[in-house]
Amino acid sequence: MHFTPLPYLDPGSGSFLIQLLIAALLGLAVAARASWSKIKGWFGIKTEPKTDEDDDESSE
Amino acid sequence: MRMTTNQVNSGQLAASFRDPSGFLFSRDGVLYRQVNHKYEHEYMRLMESGLYEKLVKAGLLIPHVEVDQLQALGEAAFKVIQPERVPFISYPYEWSFGQLKDAALGTLSIQRRALKAGMSLKDASAYNIQFVRGKVTLIDTLSFELYKEGQPWVAYRQFCQHFLAPLALMALKDIRLNQLLRVYIDGVPLDLASQLLPGATRFNFGLLTHIHLHAGAQKKYAGEEVRSRGGGTFGRQAMNGLIDSLDATVRKLDWKPGGTEWGNYYDITNYSEAAFEHKKQLVGEWVKQVNPALAWDLGANNGVFSRVVSAAGSFVVSFDIDPAAVEQNYRHAKSEKEANLLPLLLDLTNPSPALGWANRERDSFGLRGPANMVLALAVIHHLAISNNVPLPQLADFFAETGEWLVIEFVPKSDSQVQKLLVSREDVFPNYTRAGFEDAFNKRFNIHSAVDVRESERVLYLMQGK
Repeated sequence: MHFTPLPYLDPGSGSFLIQLLIAALLGLAVAARASWSKIKGWFGIKTEPKTDEDDDESSE
Repeated sequence: MRMTTNQVNSGQLAASFRDPSGFLFSRDGVLYRQVNHKYEHEYMRLMESGLYEKLVKAGLLIPHVEVDQLQALGEAAFKVIQPERVPFISYPYEWSFGQLKDAALGTLSIQRRALKAGMSLKDASAYNIQFVRGKVTLIDTLSFELYKEGQPWVAYRQFCQHFLAPLALMALKDIRLNQLLRVYIDGVPLDLASQLLPGATRFNFGLLTHIHLHAGAQKKYAGEEVRSRGGGTFGRQAMNGLIDSLDATVRKLDWKPGGTEWGNYYDITNYSEAAFEHKKQLVGEWVKQVNPALAWDLGANNGVFSRVVSAAGSFVVSFDIDPAAVEQNYRHAKSEKEANLLPLLLDLTNPSPALGWANRERDSFGLRGPANMVLALAVIHHLAISNNVPLPQLADFFAETGEWLVIEFVPKSDSQVQKLLVSREDVFPNYTRAGFEDAFNKRFNIHSAVDVRESERVLYLMQGK
């Protein structure tokens, strides 16, 4: 696969491929975190938003 | 940014040439950014998706206004925008650990918000980040592209080189390795970072993948056509996972400003409380008198006197050579939400040079001046004695650096100067109050000279001739 449109900076073949190689792992981690917070939710434990962009809708 | 040597004939800024989406130019001292037709869709998505508004509201993106297109340079123009002016442009090799870390986390935060709006950062250059009102701010409005699900992050390499590698080296090897950024303008090469980092970093999942394996992949697949290899795709979940992983890896890196060169300076000098307060009072009075828009505090330590100046309403760049002092200064400024104080790392005996293509991409320390006022408190003995700079040359340097000068003369009898001379010959017969005034009188009009209470030091207010 290729970047479309082609980027104006060379992303580097190695930098491109390593992302594809770890893609499954990264996706899995996100899914695991989501299920974990769901499980915690069943027990009434609230997960704190980790990053500030979750607060976008609230005023800063 | 000064508009003298860093622009080409048309007014286009010399540092603004890489991205065909548009460029910066200046006219009559006002900074504009041309958005080319090529970038029309992306610009409209940024503006219409609400992403621009969200980012600006969070202080993460520089605000701009659209101006009359008659300003445009050439037919490629789709729009001309006028971004808010940044009071002082700084570079990653001048940032403390905490500043680089916050810039990294800010970049990832921008990327997360962009993804939600169907966009993605197409570059992750540390040079696109500035500190505006004390906050990490992206100054390149044209850094976004439309997000195409299935594709890896095009700026991944740049993020690792500009942010992750130097942060890891600073935290886990030596804080001074941030200076590699001064040599490698596109960030620290990952194979170099991989070699320099302690072996134990291979047991850290983030550093193992994003630096060590990443460096290995770069070497193995260098120049190879990606099409022939990549079978899989990089879904949205993987993209979110990548940003999360980079975020977690950066967050775990920490550096504490212990063992500072000047950290306990105020405790070990022959400074009495009265002398210290007297100095603060004089600086405060003179700042009110001069009312400088931009002040540079050279040798600021953790910024005590810088804050006297910023409290009076000036924008102060607070320079010091010691990474720990700059880190403390930054943490203080951040926790107090100080909007008009910028701590930076600078070796006055070897200030930041002009760097990059044709030496015009990153301005030298001097080119970013002159300041309206320069503070040089308890610093002259380091320059004149430790670094052997003759007093007339010091006067020349300060005269070129700022219009007004608040400078402290520290005589030989002072214990701090005695310390510098303890193991060397005193080859400074002219280093006296008379010699100092004689040298500085040639370049400055001395408005005030006040003996600092309970000390042998003298504080001067001078104006360049």
